[in-house]
Amino acid sequence: MTVRSYFLPRSLPEALGLLDERAPELLVMAGGTVAMPLINEGISLPESVMGLRLAGLDRLERTGDVLRIGATATLTQLLDQEAVPMLREAARSTASWSIRNMGTVGGNLFTPPPGGDVGVALLALDASVTLASTRGVREMPLAEFLTGFMTTALAADELLVAIEVPIRSEPTAYLKLGRKHANTPAVVTVAVRLEWHGERVTEARIALGAAGPHPTRARGAEALAVGTRLDADAIAAAAAAAARECEPFTDGVATEWYRRRMVSLLVGRALAQLAPGAGGGGR
Amino acid sequence: MIRPMTTLQSVLRNQLGYTATKDGCRQGGCGSCTVLVNGEPMLSCLLPVEDVAGQRVTVLESITPAEGLHPIQEAFLDAYAFQCGYCTPGMVMISKALLDHDPAPSDDDIRQALTGNICRCTGYRPIVEAIHGAAEAMRGSGGEPRR
Repeated sequence: MTVRSYFLPRSLPEALGLLDERAPELLVMAGGTVAMPLINEGISLPESVMGLRLAGLDRLERTGDVLRIGATATLTQLLDQEAVPMLREAARSTASWSIRNMGTVGGNLFTPPPGGDVGVALLALDASVTLASTRGVREMPLAEFLTGFMTTALAADELLVAIEVPIRSEPTAYLKLGRKHANTPAVVTVAVRLEWHGERVTEARIALGAAGPHPTRARGAEALAVGTRLDADAIAAAAAAAARECEPFTDGVATEWYRRRMVSLLVGRALAQLAPGAGGGGR
Repeated sequence: MIRPMTTLQSVLRNQLGYTATKDGCRQGGCGSCTVLVNGEPMLSCLLPVEDVAGQRVTVLESITPAEGLHPIQEAFLDAYAFQCGYCTPGMVMISKALLDHDPAPSDDDIRQALTGNICRCTGYRPIVEAIHGAAEAMRGSGGEPRR
């Protein structure tokens, strides 16, 4: 192992100070489930690393209609909360017990596809992220934070400190297809949240995982769903649009061709779960 | 003395001589290095030892009595739940965590708990049976193993 310095800040100001002094050479690590395998294999050779496990950024707090998730809250903590059922489902379908005890919600947003599919649920839920540095704090929608394959809007001296999720009551659908039933990277992940006025859809969020360089919204499919009664034709049209607009890839898990087929299938199923008469929701 | 960011796995095996914790994939993918930190299962290959300074770490050696075996170990023997045995320490530790949380887990609970612990030769059915057996024994009188 080549790491010369390992910093374990005990507070946010201490962490931001270290980052201000040492960015961009300082590798930031939280649960270690992504960084440590690369370090153990010698693929990543950082000289200095900052671990966030003791920095006190792991609290889940509900304030009114917002769930604030500290960036280093573990996936197990996400599984244990009850305010946002879709996040429980996303956590349950991610990795294994031991990994969920280590891996963090914030870290999941830096995990390249076909991992990182808690972010798919967060996108569908209109989550925002809070970024901090010694210069100050800013917030932005998660959809703007994710910019490319393993790239984000985070500046070199900034730290992701929290994720805020609006708590809403309408049913949601979360479907993850893997090669196994559990502890498996995604072939495709789909998260859907709809708002209704009477029988019509007024807002749609259709988020896709493992179907692009990062979790993405299928905005064409969303636009097609809005204004409809979500009948069979509307569902088919939205599913087809999602399959057209997604940018899947081939890897050891699945081919681009198969992933595109599965985007269509899973978006269709998720919407059907939420359609009138389906008994309401993917909970 | 250790170098910065040495893993808990390495400290256990190479410095403390606790070699039950296995050195499998070092990727968090096999579960053979599972230990309990404050009672919760974690993978010691992904854990810088500095992160657990002052925390309670439980390894296979710490649950094995001076004489005889822990009821979970006894149950693994009874159910023929290992062949090569490489995954067994991790399997026993995740079983310990499960039974500490839930003394009467269902088949599904057990399978869920085991999803991160890979066995490549025994097959999972005897392992699931062993955990049921251990649960039964530990719920019964004084944690005596099932016969």
